[in-house]
Amino acid sequence: MREKLMSLAQAADLIKDGMLLGIGGNGMHRNPVLFSLALTRKPLKELKVCGAAPGIGADILLATFQADTAYFGFFGLENEAGLAPGMRKAMEGPEPKARAMEGS
Amino acid sequence: MWGSDLVAQRPEFFQVVKSPFDDTEVVCVKALVPDYAIVHVQEADIYGNCRILGPSYQDALLARAARKTIVTTERIVGTYRMQEEPKLTAIPHMLVEAVVELPGGARPGICYPEYQTVTWDDHKAYQKAVKAGEVPQFAAKMLEGRL
Repeated sequence: MREKLMSLAQAADLIKDGMLLGIGGNGMHRNPVLFSLALTRKPLKELKVCGAAPGIGADILLATFQADTAYFGFFGLENEAGLAPGMRKAMEGPEPKARAMEGS
Repeated sequence: MWGSDLVAQRPEFFQVVKSPFDDTEVVCVKALVPDYAIVHVQEADIYGNCRILGPSYQDALLARAARKTIVTTERIVGTYRMQEEPKLTAIPHMLVEAVVELPGGARPGICYPEYQTVTWDDHKAYQKAVKAGEVPQFAAKMLEGRL
């Protein structure tokens, strides 16, 4: 087994333009939020995100328009946290910035 | 999938083909292969063996579907913890490319049993930042000293 410890910045550097990212957790539960926030500090574009029920970790990348596609069954933050604001910002309106691939 | 409109709506994901075993028709689903699965866990060792406490959702499957997995973890534990009860290792080391020790990595969300309620002040600040187009500024505040 090889040691794989690294800093958040080093791990964020592994992500490149256009990659498909499977973001773990569910709604507001156990999402890699700080990792997604670290990606917003970088000039990444055309990311794709997927998950059965993506939550705030994926929402962040849609909020910044760094992700242009989301593949999902259900996308929301649930309970009091309500709808996913970044997803709505990217997907609503006449000229959406991101594509919703629900049921994929 | 029979009876679902998705078969007609998403031809890029669903196709009806003849079974190789008999004359019946079956629905084939195209697999998504993430370049990375990114998963926050409660316990990982320095090699990337991970334990997930409480609900695991689809995270163990996500790690297996992706080319490689990046793990952020509430804490680094000794490998003895995995050896004590190997079947509790949700994600094994060979699926993992990076391990980041990042307590509070799921905040302002919840990470059972470490923090069990949403940090509402920070979440409201996120909602405001989304509306204002200031998510990178929100990120800078949340990431202070964490990169």
